[in-house]
Amino acid sequence: MIQDYLVLSIVLFCLGMLGVITRRNVFTVFMSVELMLNAANLAFIAFSRLHQTMDGHVLAMLVMAVAAAEAALALAVVILLHKHKSRLDTNVFSLLKG
Amino acid sequence: MNTELLFNGFAILAVLGAVGLVLFRHPMNGAMSLVVTMVALAGLYALLSAKLIFALQLIVYAGAIMSLILFIIMFLNLQEKDLPEESGRWYYLLGGVVVIAPIALFLIKIVKTLPGSEATIVGGGFGGIKEVGLVLFQDWLLPFEIVSILLLIALVGAVVLAGKRRLGK
Repeated sequence: MIQDYLVLSIVLFCLGMLGVITRRNVFTVFMSVELMLNAANLAFIAFSRLHQTMDGHVLAMLVMAVAAAEAALALAVVILLHKHKSRLDTNVFSLLKG
Repeated sequence: MNTELLFNGFAILAVLGAVGLVLFRHPMNGAMSLVVTMVALAGLYALLSAKLIFALQLIVYAGAIMSLILFIIMFLNLQEKDLPEESGRWYYLLGGVVVIAPIALFLIKIVKTLPGSEATIVGGGFGGIKEVGLVLFQDWLLPFEIVSILLLIALVGAVVLAGKRRLGK
């Protein structure tokens, strides 16, 4: 059933959200964002299968391209942060806090 | 019958990988369990007869992006002392579950009202390269071009951010 795929997508998305808001390791937060993108992809593909059209597949491909761009930029930022503070704790990077 | 069994197996693998990503302390373990999730999702795409996306998921996500992440994790050579302490991690997780569970239950309730269709594997050209390509280059041409510009900007930005500063002040 299509609903099972959508429920799985919701569960994965919520697990990714949990990782983003509860973990403090920069890498884990970043990979949780990737997990959320994957969950969205699964929903796209499931709806595409439900309606028997190809648009969901195209959107999933575009999401993958955006995820690749995001990975390149985010990893560059992580390297930069590690160079500056040599820590990976998100609580350390609070320069904008008043 | 067989499809149900495969779906259950892949779904359990995907959820276990995601739980591992959230719970593991070292990012290396988290990355490996995320790879498990990616591969299980590729199997689910195959069950939904998305042939092209199945291949792309394995090559681009589980292959390229995850190896990039693993490469950076190994490049930084994280020791136990470099990791954040996260002493109150379980309390944070409990609070996060309390916050997120209502949202998840609400969404699942919405999804249950959708019209169902049995997820048998569609034959013919559904999800093949030709069909997806036709839609991509006819209806989605402008987003495709914008994504190519986005990739170029990300490439330049990554080089500018992480590259060596040759010109000092």
